[in-house]
Amino acid sequence: MDFLTERGFFVEGIFLILAAILLPAAGAALSYVIKKSSIRNCIVVITSIAMMVVSSYFAYVLYKNGGQMVIETEKIPFDLGWIIKLIDIALLVYIVFLGFKLKNILVWVLAGIQLAVTVGFEVFNKVVEPHAAFVIDYLSLIMLLLSSIIGPLIIIFATGYMKEHEEHQHLKKSRQPKFFFVLFIFLAAMNALAVSNNIMWFYLFWEVTTLCSFLLISHDGSEMAIKNATRALVLNMAGGVAFIFGIVVLYKVTGTLSLQDISMFQTTGAVKGLVPLGLALLCFAGFTKSAQFPFQSWLLGAMVAPTPVSALLHSSTMVKAGVYLVVRIAPAFSGTILGHVVAFVGGFTFMAASALAISQRNGKKVLAYSTIANLGLIICCAGIGTHVALGAAILLIIFHAISKGLLFLCVGTIEHGIGSRDIEDMQGLMKKMPFTTVITVIGMISMLLPPFGVLITKWMAIEASVNLPIVLIPIIIGSAFTVVFWAKWIGIILTMSYKVKHPVEKLPFSTKATLSILVAGVLAASVGIIPLFNKLISPELGIFKLVDKLGLVGEKGGVWMTNGTTTITGGFASLPFFLIIFALMFTIPFFLYKTKPDNIKPPYVCGELANDDIRGIEFMGPMDKIENSVVHNYYFKGVLGENKLTLWTNLVAIASILIMFGVVVK
Amino acid sequence: MNIYVKILIIVGVILLAPIVGGLLSGIDRRITARMQNRFGPPLLQPFYDFFKLMGKERIAVNQTQMVYVLGYLLFAVASLIMFVMRQDLLMLIFILAFSNISIIMGAMSVRSPFSKIGAQREIIQMMAYEPVLLLMVVGIFLTTKSFMIESVFTHSRPLIYDLPLVFAAFIFILTIKLRKSPFDFSTSHHGHQELVKGLTTEFSGPQLALIELTHWYELILILGLISLFFAKPIWVGIIIALACYFLEFVIDNISARMTWKWMLKITWLVGIGAAITNIAWLYLKR
Repeated sequence: MDFLTERGFFVEGIFLILAAILLPAAGAALSYVIKKSSIRNCIVVITSIAMMVVSSYFAYVLYKNGGQMVIETEKIPFDLGWIIKLIDIALLVYIVFLGFKLKNILVWVLAGIQLAVTVGFEVFNKVVEPHAAFVIDYLSLIMLLLSSIIGPLIIIFATGYMKEHEEHQHLKKSRQPKFFFVLFIFLAAMNALAVSNNIMWFYLFWEVTTLCSFLLISHDGSEMAIKNATRALVLNMAGGVAFIFGIVVLYKVTGTLSLQDISMFQTTGAVKGLVPLGLALLCFAGFTKSAQFPFQSWLLGAMVAPTPVSALLHSSTMVKAGVYLVVRIAPAFSGTILGHVVAFVGGFTFMAASALAISQRNGKKVLAYSTIANLGLIICCAGIGTHVALGAAILLIIFHAISKGLLFLCVGTIEHGIGSRDIEDMQGLMKKMPFTTVITVIGMISMLLPPFGVLITKWMAIEASVNLPIVLIPIIIGSAFTVVFWAKWIGIILTMSYKVKHPVEKLPFSTKATLSILVAGVLAASVGIIPLFNKLISPELGIFKLVDKLGLVGEKGGVWMTNGTTTITGGFASLPFFLIIFALMFTIPFFLYKTKPDNIKPPYVCGELANDDIRGIEFMGPMDKIENSVVHNYYFKGVLGENKLTLWTNLVAIASILIMFGVVVK
Repeated sequence: MNIYVKILIIVGVILLAPIVGGLLSGIDRRITARMQNRFGPPLLQPFYDFFKLMGKERIAVNQTQMVYVLGYLLFAVASLIMFVMRQDLLMLIFILAFSNISIIMGAMSVRSPFSKIGAQREIIQMMAYEPVLLLMVVGIFLTTKSFMIESVFTHSRPLIYDLPLVFAAFIFILTIKLRKSPFDFSTSHHGHQELVKGLTTEFSGPQLALIELTHWYELILILGLISLFFAKPIWVGIIIALACYFLEFVIDNISARMTWKWMLKITWLVGIGAAITNIAWLYLKR
């Protein structure tokens, strides 16, 4: 590469990074200043679309440069390091102040510890900044694309949603400017976090997402909202303390702050002394952010926030930052005892969260537990750390982000439509909201059934964990639980009255548009798993330099694995199955058209149906009294209820985290 | 394998499986009748039933029922094709689960207390047997070092030597999968019990015919899975599979229906317990 093109590439790279970070920040500032809602919505939509364009251009430039872009610290014309240090300190001071304002001793103590360590480490200590300030590889690109495509879609959805939401609340003065401000700052921080290689910078953006999530969860200002937001802040601050200590430990032993170097520790032979402890501390930080057991309570509490916030926290931002960190450093502990314990923590969370989801009637809570379960599976795969496992982890990050973003928006729409988020109230939803129902069902099926992506990753996870029984068994039992809670919910939603009715659903344009785009994304990602795998996952696994010999290829209509030679040891051609799925989808209108109203009969109620005109669930009881039959799903509250299970699962999770620290301290 | 041979095998299986499956269920009805001191229907009765149901008026309880039935059928056929193509066993189990979920959705789509309760119980059954099926796949992987069914046939000796307890657990859950007593609580065999016909109460005419057809495909697949444990020579596997099927009739006839709580407990304790025990020694032996 001659000097000019190199220079040109560097300028292109730094501009793209600045655009990815400053564009949402500018959008944030404008949304905060502009008080007129129509103009603000325009700004929101324009910023969102611009973010999508920038991230797509990012993908183009990355491929042009062969899959890795490095921006060296020395070449950045101004001292970014000091700017970031100052923002970091200001942020922590603000959180300490917030702790005093909330009168929460934990918040200010935890933030205070971080402040003290940060100042001591960075200001009174000459730190060697890493050579590469920003490194963008395929994994960073995936995070960037998720937060710059799904995030803006959710924000566009929010423009329509928040209007209705505030009408429900009867607010005198709109609080939307601050709301959109925080949402965009959140996305800016996620983008910055995805491209940072300097782990101190990563840490700053990590803390920014913590603060943003506090502000968003507490947005409605109710007592409950403040309480749950504070809990989120406390738990994530605890993670932040682990994070900063992890950085200090790793720096003291190895002298590097580069995330790239950290993930290469195993290949460079730098794993010695207290390095495993540093890695374990970073994993601990990842657990808190990704709401692993026993830290799940903050994510469950977060659903008091307006729906777009839940959608954002659960899909492309916040919780994904935690798993991103763990996946990023996973090659450093691949195949070690630490990796196995991390895998167990994730696998156990997967099982426990899926079991608890069965007992929930609140739709949003089921989604929340399902998120926790899937994050557990991602962390589990990262802990196993083989080719297949890390491939599954990255794929699951993608599939889960799209599907869960969609599902939260669907439940939010349903909640506005029927005034409830109770699953049992969703019976016969098809009659009231056919558009939303169809999309919701596709979203749910994509979380549960083959050949959709999430199931493929579950299949890969099981195949990757066969050599680790302690991890395998929780995954297997957890996936049995998963089937139960999704199947129950889909069944309720699809319940149809026998009376023919074709209602038209009225939704704001922003809602319809985002739901349609996301559902198209869900289908596209699952159908396009082979290019997705070959273009993004496979090269990233190459960068990881893993030790195991298993091969993973995407060809012949699916993903296949080999045992290092050419013998195929497992694989699945998912494409032919989509043909069956689409064929079935096309038969639905056919049968709708073909079934004559005369041939539709009321259901069998022991031949004692009271009246054909009513809903078909009233029957003649003894003494000709009309009885109503009500059938609910089974919820197993007596065994799997939160009050029965949470204590025990938390105890096991705490024990396994203690074991994780136990195995790394020599 | 040549592509034409593949297509030939697939077409052959699609055509032959229901014929054999139907005959077997005819034999089932005969033997069951004899065990109960009845004469029983003719051997071809399942086929007569099938064609009669096909010719019935297309009554439906809602407009989408048929879609679920088709999903049930197509995914069962797909998993059988995966079996004869010797594909990934783990994925086969997931595809089979899709087929089952489809019929559960069909039963739940109707506002009928009987089919709804039947569906709930069917979900519980899935929760009970799914882990055992997955553990079976893991056991086979640990023996043959591959998830492909192909590897079972290239493996040096029959799987039963390494996986006796996994096989026992599999036979145990077979009773659930074939919906026989003591585990027939999602679709009781006799139409006058508390559940009526449970899961299938609200299906009629051609829909019911297709459900019956799917059962035949499923039966062949299950017998195929049994024979995997004894593959090489394949006829030994087939004979043992048929013997196991006969065993199921006996169990069906000598036991009464139990509650789902009991089933869940016993399957998880005995089924998962046995499979894990077996897998444990495979790990230690490696």
